[in-house]
Amino acid sequence: MIEVHRVSKVYSVGPVKVPALREVSFRITKGEFVVLTGASGAGKTTLLRLLYRDDLPSEGDIAVLGYDLVPMRRSHVAALRRSIGVVFQDSKLLPVRTVYENVAFVLRVLGAPRREITERAFDALRVVGLSSRAQAYPAQLSQGEAQRAALARAIVRRPPLLLADEPTGNLDDAMAGEIVEALKDIGAGGTTIVLATHQARLARALRRRTLTLDGGRVVKDEG
Amino acid sequence: MLGFLVGEALRDLRRAGRVAVSAIVLITLSLAALGGFWLVSSNLDRAVAQWRDRVRIVVYLRREPPAADVAALLERVRVIPGVAGAVFIGKADALRALKQLLGKDAGVVDQLPANPLPASLEVTPAAAAATPEGARDLLARLNALPEADEVAGSADWVEQLSHWQRLLTTIGLGVGAVLAIAAILTVTTATTLVLHARRHETEIMRLVGASEVTIRLPLLLQGMMQGLAGAVLALVALVVAHSLVAPRLEPLVNLTLGLSQLVFFTPVGVVALLAAGTLLGGLGGWLARAGREP
Repeated sequence: MIEVHRVSKVYSVGPVKVPALREVSFRITKGEFVVLTGASGAGKTTLLRLLYRDDLPSEGDIAVLGYDLVPMRRSHVAALRRSIGVVFQDSKLLPVRTVYENVAFVLRVLGAPRREITERAFDALRVVGLSSRAQAYPAQLSQGEAQRAALARAIVRRPPLLLADEPTGNLDDAMAGEIVEALKDIGAGGTTIVLATHQARLARALRRRTLTLDGGRVVKDEG
Repeated sequence: MLGFLVGEALRDLRRAGRVAVSAIVLITLSLAALGGFWLVSSNLDRAVAQWRDRVRIVVYLRREPPAADVAALLERVRVIPGVAGAVFIGKADALRALKQLLGKDAGVVDQLPANPLPASLEVTPAAAAATPEGARDLLARLNALPEADEVAGSADWVEQLSHWQRLLTTIGLGVGAVLAIAAILTVTTATTLVLHARRHETEIMRLVGASEVTIRLPLLLQGMMQGLAGAVLALVALVVAHSLVAPRLEPLVNLTLGLSQLVFFTPVGVVALLAAGTLLGGLGGWLARAGREP
């Protein structure tokens, strides 16, 4: 499913080189729920961005869902992304569209038939427990609801891989718990999940395989 | 999918707001200017063509040839380069034509002791000879005929008219081009604003694997919509202007240029104007660049 081999990433800030990842290697198999943890700046977000090919590594190889990401042509990136759901710390919901429209937007963009759009959008909202808020606008949602709406948008295409970057970062424990439960349900359906979080307590509570990053290196792979 | 793309384009158009309105106004102005000059130019072109057809060179003959020799003379004239046709007008024919011209005063002619009018050849120049240089060459060749006494006629003034028509076309194209460039830049600005306003949508679209075509097509479409709106407005302005001005000007142009009516665009011309507007807007939309991925 995911193979990361000796991946390094260095950002250039003028003449200064800032290493974000150093020789990171790991494998994730189909259906796994992996927690990526570490302090802020450890390289979690950089690693996730490399996995959905939002950026390229400075060195090393990455294969995701059978795609070799480094030599990949730009025109093939879209095909990869269609198989990956991504959730961010800020929900990135479109403010002028309702929850339903935000979720349906993804399917409309990809040219799904209208009947299928309605059915699948409501399915996704049901999975995250947000069907009753379908007609609400993002400004009318709590942070937890907004994050669940973002989760619904990420899974509406039923992608085999879900990447979640600090989805509980802005939430209190109760709301974070809702998101984690929703993620567990999605994972139980066979979706491979990579959850990045700086919240060590959350990572421990999940009791899943955990990769710990520190200073751009994987310092622990346990569970 | 088409519904989605058009819907997004309309949404983008609303987002562009006043800048989109400015772009539409500029496209209207540029196409109205272009179309206005085009209309004047095409009507002048008709006058030029009409007058070119009417240009005749008259070769007055020293003496009227015997009827048996007329055919041979005409044959010799018709093979001269630059001659499209030739007609023999005998002395009697010329007198008859004069009488017709004089109408009720035709009796004056009968007072004459003899027919003073010479026989002549009415030569129609070929298109290639209907230029000042071509006409001069043809006049020289006709003058060289042993039977020719005098040669009259020139296409100079038709060429003057043609020159003005070409000048008008050039000015129209120049003014239209300057306004068109301004319109393209304004559409580009409007589209850049739209790009900024829809950056979150674009980000989500890229994230979920939308193709670049799906991302960029609404931008192109909203530019084309601005262009089409501008073209329709320009067309309406031209229709109104034509219907107001043409009836007042027609008597004058009939008198001076011999045009009985000032025509409007043909259906092909209307389609061309609408297509030009759509193209201008589309070009502006296409020129606005979205951020690229690695």
